[in-house]
Amino acid sequence: MTDFTPIKECLVSLDEARLNDLITQALDGGAAPSDILNQGLIAAMDIVGERMENGEMFIPEVLMAAQAMSRGVDILKPLLGDEGDADNGRVVIGTVQGDLHDIGKNLVAMMMESAGLTVHNLGVDITPEAFVTALKEKEADILCLSALLTTTMPMMKQTVDAVVESGLREQVKIMVGGAPVTQAFADEIGADAFAPDAGSAAKQAKALL
Amino acid sequence: MNLMGLQGGQYKPLSREQVETVHKAALQILETTGMTYETGLETTADMLEANGARVDRDEKRIRMPASLVEEAAAKAPEQVILYGRAPENDLDLSEDRVHLGTGGAAIKILDPDTGDVRATTLSDLYNVSRLVDQLDNVHFLVRPCIPTDIDEAEYDINMFYTCLRASGKHVMSGVNDEAGLHRVIDMASMIAGSTRALQERPFISVITSFAISPLKLCTQSTLIMQEAVRNRIPVALSSAPMAGSTSPLTMAGTLAQLHAEELAGITICQLTSPGAPLLYGGIPGMANLATMGYCGGGVECGMMNAAIHQMARYIRVPNYNSSGLSDSKVPDAQAGYEKAFTAVLNAMGGSNYIHHSAGMLESMLTIAHEQFVIDDEIIGSACKVLKGIEVDAEHLAMDVIDAVGPGGNFMTAAHTMKHIRSEYYASNGVTDRKARNRWAAEGALDARQRARNIARTLLANDKSYIPGDVDQAIREKYNIILPA
Repeated sequence: MTDFTPIKECLVSLDEARLNDLITQALDGGAAPSDILNQGLIAAMDIVGERMENGEMFIPEVLMAAQAMSRGVDILKPLLGDEGDADNGRVVIGTVQGDLHDIGKNLVAMMMESAGLTVHNLGVDITPEAFVTALKEKEADILCLSALLTTTMPMMKQTVDAVVESGLREQVKIMVGGAPVTQAFADEIGADAFAPDAGSAAKQAKALL
Repeated sequence: MNLMGLQGGQYKPLSREQVETVHKAALQILETTGMTYETGLETTADMLEANGARVDRDEKRIRMPASLVEEAAAKAPEQVILYGRAPENDLDLSEDRVHLGTGGAAIKILDPDTGDVRATTLSDLYNVSRLVDQLDNVHFLVRPCIPTDIDEAEYDINMFYTCLRASGKHVMSGVNDEAGLHRVIDMASMIAGSTRALQERPFISVITSFAISPLKLCTQSTLIMQEAVRNRIPVALSSAPMAGSTSPLTMAGTLAQLHAEELAGITICQLTSPGAPLLYGGIPGMANLATMGYCGGGVECGMMNAAIHQMARYIRVPNYNSSGLSDSKVPDAQAGYEKAFTAVLNAMGGSNYIHHSAGMLESMLTIAHEQFVIDDEIIGSACKVLKGIEVDAEHLAMDVIDAVGPGGNFMTAAHTMKHIRSEYYASNGVTDRKARNRWAAEGALDARQRARNIARTLLANDKSYIPGDVDQAIREKYNIILPA
């Protein structure tokens, strides 16, 4: 039984160089790649997410952790085989039409990837039609919509309506977020969930699956 | 983030010429108006006379020539180090190095549980000393409240004991009389190991309010002051006139009179024990003209205290003064802005030992646990200002700007990581910057409530800075009231 505590501590303390050594050591010691991923890296990112929610870790630090994690995953990927394609959930994410803000949305994407989800980040200024097309192509389980401007919030509603019209609504959970967005607004436009920050967004997404 | 002892001096309310004008005015006050004294200071008056002062014993007036005053002031050390129990708490009082801590002799506290105002006890003194010990930006401990539940005869030894047990920071307090001073020195020597060890690293010092403004020597306090300098225990020469009642209403007149009082005190100390460490203790204050009480929160308190540091610096003596008072009764918005204004002005003035800066309300009458936590944040922010803005290749970050390029972002640059925990002031936790929904989910607490919670957490950590055997020995010799 490998103790994954050092790997978790290492990732939480952003020591990327040592993290890669520890992953190699764990593999040499016979640990299963999927265990290193799930019990080590993903578990560590859960801690990072919590610290971010509590204000103990700053966003740039969270991003560094996500980057370190992603490089760790690069080491594991060739070894995961079919396991690596294990379907943990597919997410389509983007900022709605008319809104060019991407930092918060990218952060959510990164945290979701770190939580083990497969994320398709469409970018900013995405039309309702483009969202619907992507949902079909990627066979997505979750749609995440971002808006920073109060003036683009109505576009969230239009996007949700487009998903309903496309007939995909039953298969897809919809999450919304962004500075002016609230739970009440999410309820009003018929979304399934709202998250106030990236850490809780990843947590919510996993709960929705 | 260590923000103690940074250089102030960025704010100079007086020009060089104005400093000289005030200094000359003070010398003239001492030479023509002079200081008065009461029975009991005859020996002190004789000493001054023998060194060139003119003493009129009928009028009880001592007039000092400029030469006497300036020669005596030149003997006072330019640097005074006040020690903590451990070196990381040592305070280097020199130049414009800034330290802020507690002060006062409050007699009321906002009860930590009920919020109601009540009389302070020995247990309160212990608790707030434990808070001060753990608040990083409160640099020293001047006993902030009076234990009104014990006999006055027990004050001196019990106040020092309680502070020294609860905190590893430098402890300063007044004493009631010379005998009390001797007992306190003896007890501190027991803690230090010997009187010599105490004199080498004096982790205690005394405040003597030697002057009763305007221009009168207080017999008891002057005798204590002289006894302290004979024993080489650092002494703060406290004098605190209130503009409008015990000094002229105008700021310049208050500064001139106060500087004269300080020069007289320094002269007495340096004639008593040449070279003895002391702090210029001028605290320019204001009368509340509506009540004639003390007005602690006026912005002019910050201006005048910065100015009095310039006067102390002019004669090359480190100074003790005051800021961070508020006339508000509760830790509210008024307390916040009054405290922030005077703290940052006085810190930017460069004052070396700024007391009254944590915990106080209702001018100097009341303390509150949560106010110590809030003031720790105010002091930290004020000291951060002194650190200034570093402009060098590393901080200009030209290569980072180029590498990130137009349209990129700096969030994941290695440069960001390198400076993320050091470039900006790190809150002690009382400042809220959460999103509204999270703030609401956590109870929608305001600063006062958050500070109260932090204080509770800190007070759960108990610790004694007096080893068991020494504690035992002190208890055998003195009537220590705080339970072992």
